[in-house]
Amino acid sequence: MAKMKFLCDAERCIECNACVTACKNENEVPWGINRRRVVTLNDGEPGERSISVACMHCTDAPCSAVCPVDCFYTTADGVVLHDKDQCIGCGYCFYACPFGAPQYPQETAFGVRGKMDKCTFCAGGPEADNSAAEYTKYGANRLAQGKLPLCAEMCSTKALIAGDGDLVADLYRQRILRRGGRPQTWGWEKAYGAA
Amino acid sequence: MQSKVRLIAVAWVAGLALAGCYGKDGGLQLHQPGKYVGANDPLLEIAGTPEFEQRLERRFNMVQTDR
Repeated sequence: MAKMKFLCDAERCIECNACVTACKNENEVPWGINRRRVVTLNDGEPGERSISVACMHCTDAPCSAVCPVDCFYTTADGVVLHDKDQCIGCGYCFYACPFGAPQYPQETAFGVRGKMDKCTFCAGGPEADNSAAEYTKYGANRLAQGKLPLCAEMCSTKALIAGDGDLVADLYRQRILRRGGRPQTWGWEKAYGAA
Repeated sequence: MQSKVRLIAVAWVAGLALAGCYGKDGGLQLHQPGKYVGANDPLLEIAGTPEFEQRLERRFNMVQTDR
């Protein structure tokens, strides 16, 4: 069975932030929330690398393990989603996530946290597929339309790849063979338990 | 006589207030560790089916492969 995974090829990422923009535009992400971010390591130094980071939809998701109201669920193809009607905005998932994926909208002037928001792998949430309610709460449900996350589809250098883990790994392996050198599957070991 | 009426009124109000505690379920939700309790997602019915996976694989080969 297919398991959906993200992979960011640091050799190809040019820090254009198109993935961030595509995500915000496609999902109407509220101000102050970035479901996806581009992080640059060793900025300005020789050998600097950029990686695009969002929820990695971990195999054994730590956010789900610590949630006191059990609002997380995982689809058959490995996408980790949550129910905003159940979420109490406690912030436990934020502390548990190794990728800093959970985000909280600031709803009042006093810093009260709202419902948690994170990347859904463009798979919406527990509402009728592609309904207005689903779009308002979770954003687009491209998976139900047979499409993959827009951040990866929009990536001009194909640094960000999203899809079935086997296909992603095959594609990346071919690149490494062509390119030479060692694979750098950033975040894969932590998220999926495999190098 | 007046204190008796007052006593009966207090008892009646207290009885009514206590009876309110045993009314209909106030939406209490019990949690089992690790068991999802939210609404059902219709995507779960199609996710993982061969047709669904084939569609996504076609899409992957169409838009994610190297240029």
